[in-house]
Amino acid sequence: MKHLILLVVSLVSLVANAQTNFETGMQKAFALWQDNKVTEAEQLFERIAAAETDQWLPNYYVAQINSLKSWGEQDATVLKANLDKAQEYLNTAKGISTNNADILVLQAQVYTNWVAFDGMTYGMKYSGKITELYNKAYAIAPENPMVVLGKAEWGMGSAKYFGQDTAPFCKDIAHALELFVNFKPESPFHPKWGEDRAKQVLASCEE
Amino acid sequence: MKKLQLLLNLVCIFTVSVGFSQTLISGRVTDAKHNPIAGANVYIQGSYDGGTSDDSGVFSFKTTETGVQTLIVSFLSYETYSETAHISAFQDVDIKLREDVNALDAVVLSAGTFSAGDNSKVNALSSLDVVTTASAMGDFVGALQTLPGTTTVAEDGRLFVRGGEADETQIFIDGIRVFTPYTPTTNNVPSRGRYSPFLFDGITFSTGGYSAEYGQALSSVLLLNTIDEPEQNKTDIGIMSVGGALGHTKKWEKSALSVNGSYMNLGPYIKLFPGRNDWDKPFQSFSGEAVYRRQFSKGLFKLYTAYEFSQFELTLEDIDYEDGIHYKLNNKNTYVNSSYQGKLNANWSVFAGASYTNNNSDVDVIDDAVDNIEHSVHAKARLKYRFNNRFKLNFGTEYFLTHFNEKYSSPSIDTESYGFDNNIAAAFTEADVIFTKQLALKAGLRAEYSQLFKAFEVAPRVSLAYKTSAKSQLSLAYGSFYQNPNNDILKFSQNIDSEETSHYILNYQFNVEGRLFRAETYYKDYNNLIKYDTEYASYTSNFNNDGYGYAKGIDLFWRDNVSLRNFEYWVSYSYLDTERDYKNYPTKAQPNFANAHNLSVVGKYWVEDWKSQIGFSYSLASGRTYTNPNETGFLNQKTKTYNNLSLNWAYLMSPQKILYVAVSNALDFKNVNGYQYASTPNSNGVYNRRALKPAADQFFFIGFFWTISDNGTDNQLDNL
Repeated sequence: MKHLILLVVSLVSLVANAQTNFETGMQKAFALWQDNKVTEAEQLFERIAAAETDQWLPNYYVAQINSLKSWGEQDATVLKANLDKAQEYLNTAKGISTNNADILVLQAQVYTNWVAFDGMTYGMKYSGKITELYNKAYAIAPENPMVVLGKAEWGMGSAKYFGQDTAPFCKDIAHALELFVNFKPESPFHPKWGEDRAKQVLASCEE
Repeated sequence: MKKLQLLLNLVCIFTVSVGFSQTLISGRVTDAKHNPIAGANVYIQGSYDGGTSDDSGVFSFKTTETGVQTLIVSFLSYETYSETAHISAFQDVDIKLREDVNALDAVVLSAGTFSAGDNSKVNALSSLDVVTTASAMGDFVGALQTLPGTTTVAEDGRLFVRGGEADETQIFIDGIRVFTPYTPTTNNVPSRGRYSPFLFDGITFSTGGYSAEYGQALSSVLLLNTIDEPEQNKTDIGIMSVGGALGHTKKWEKSALSVNGSYMNLGPYIKLFPGRNDWDKPFQSFSGEAVYRRQFSKGLFKLYTAYEFSQFELTLEDIDYEDGIHYKLNNKNTYVNSSYQGKLNANWSVFAGASYTNNNSDVDVIDDAVDNIEHSVHAKARLKYRFNNRFKLNFGTEYFLTHFNEKYSSPSIDTESYGFDNNIAAAFTEADVIFTKQLALKAGLRAEYSQLFKAFEVAPRVSLAYKTSAKSQLSLAYGSFYQNPNNDILKFSQNIDSEETSHYILNYQFNVEGRLFRAETYYKDYNNLIKYDTEYASYTSNFNNDGYGYAKGIDLFWRDNVSLRNFEYWVSYSYLDTERDYKNYPTKAQPNFANAHNLSVVGKYWVEDWKSQIGFSYSLASGRTYTNPNETGFLNQKTKTYNNLSLNWAYLMSPQKILYVAVSNALDFKNVNGYQYASTPNSNGVYNRRALKPAADQFFFIGFFWTISDNGTDNQLDNL
């Protein structure tokens, strides 16, 4: 009996310890990110990703940080390297978690960044894919506000471009905002972003 | 009991905390020149413990790991460093990172080569350019004719590269040879590539000095890669002034199938704009294509198949025949190409592919009938071994098989039947060595055995590139190339040898974001060219390999996508000096398909408010030679300069509907491609002549393209 208890307890504490490790690491990375120490945060996510080969989240965040980094980047070589790195980590994330709506949305964003960087070259190549990704993500998680927001914003962009009515997309964005209210990510480390963006876009709708 | 549990828990927690005795890891990260690298990620593999190097490259962090561990240092565009040792050894370590030679700014072997596509490091053209160039009229070959190194031979339409004949350029789809790449036409209408441009997403056009993998091409290779994975399910509908097209793409989890068919008929167009030709049956063609791709866990299989049927009948103008020459053609062409490309393990990768061509052509000229059938096969297998990022070895073997048979019948003689088998076995090996980010070398060797000639040839190829500054580089290339004479010679004589040329190329390239400048100078030395002693090659001719020639010149290319908003343009200029003594030439002369100066300017302007792309392309070519029998000498005169300004307009009506309008030779220049002289002088002793003019000076094209897809954004802009 004693042995059994001992075994159970040690196992529990081991598991607890392993989880704690991942959680502490992720918390620390988020804290660094919050403190605007983006490189440190990115590198910690990279280390967690390298150590925890069955977790898609650290890979997701490395990709997201690089995708965000590309926004303000002036040097095209660095910008391309950022997007390539984002893609590399996205590929790893996809290998760990298939049919994951969050990963599909981030992939759509990375492609959108390519289009924004050089529409002449990448517009044709990725536009169709981006729409397809949002549709696929929507089929998996129609209640995920980030999916609804991303899909609507992309649709809105092309509608604006062709001078079509954007009202239906504004409705979708309002719907995304409602979804954000009750949105519970699976864990504290699962993606939850975009609420402010949704408010911004909705405000532009009402102008 | 509870007490025990508590105690145990405490013990556990205590042990865990005690276990975290910490070791300090420290050191400095620099590049090869001892410059500090800031922002490198330094960590113990498998742990979260790590740090970031500061501005002086210094890092330090604590780790709870013990024993033998691996220290990893990674930084963007450098090779990742790793070292395994006891944890205590990682103190004050000096880490030198090596540049990643595959980085975007590394040197590339560029002599002779133009890449189009989105994947290569330096692009002269993007894949979209190939189909939105005004003068191309939807033909991928047409767009390449705006690049330097090509000669404008307006009535022909094929690629003439650096003083070479059109059949000195070979075309490959997914690494496998295409034997009959062009649609048949009459002699005053340019032929087009058989294959629709939207099937390809990568095009490499090499005007010389290419890899040992490619043989049987004296001047140039054009490498086309089909799209690996289409984007989505869709249906494409095209309605054009010259016909219609319908296509459908279906995607599954691991595979995709695209099929398309098109029907072209120039009849209605010719009713409106008759042109110079006297058509009995205007050009019409039916073609179908299908591409199947399947993804495997470690590779990709592709099957491409195309069928085309074309026919026309007309009366050709001729100086010696007052009523003209009746000419009729029926052509059936089938092409199947399949390939597999995959990884065997981390270092080995494999490619295998094969193609089969069946070309059946029936030509009637006045009362003579010429029917021929060509069966050709190309099979290739290639292995690649990657020692590391800096050294790769490629080797492979291939086999070409051509069986050609022709029947000639005429009222005056019995039906003659003749033909040949031209089979060639080859092996090649090539090494890619990247010494540093600045210096790279490709060296290869190709050996060929021709069963027809029972001859064995060895062709070395080498190219070297050196980066002279962050934005510029110099490349050198040398190669020796062999090619068996074409069907028109081989069908009459097999007692000859292959033709040979050597290329020497020096290339300079300057590349800043959105702008590219290239200058290339070359020398080509031709030997063993086929000569014969009759007016045309025929079975009464005596053939030998005593011909020779040379070509030298300078090619310039400038492309700018950024200086003017929404405007992209490129300018190509080629200077060519070439002479050869071959075929039935009495002496060395500049052949009539070559001229000294070629200039092309292509521009595309995107008008945001109109949702339109407006494009132009202008080409200027100095005169080509012809023989005037009224004066002494051979190829003794030159035609006047050739001019052509083409315009196009693509209007995006909605995300899925496009209206496309194009006109070639908008300014209606009256171009003359050459002269035909009467075979006998008239009563005054003068040979009369007739100008060889295009079938029509201008060509108009209107098309409406509609894509129906799942999501409603894809369109056919990339098909145009």
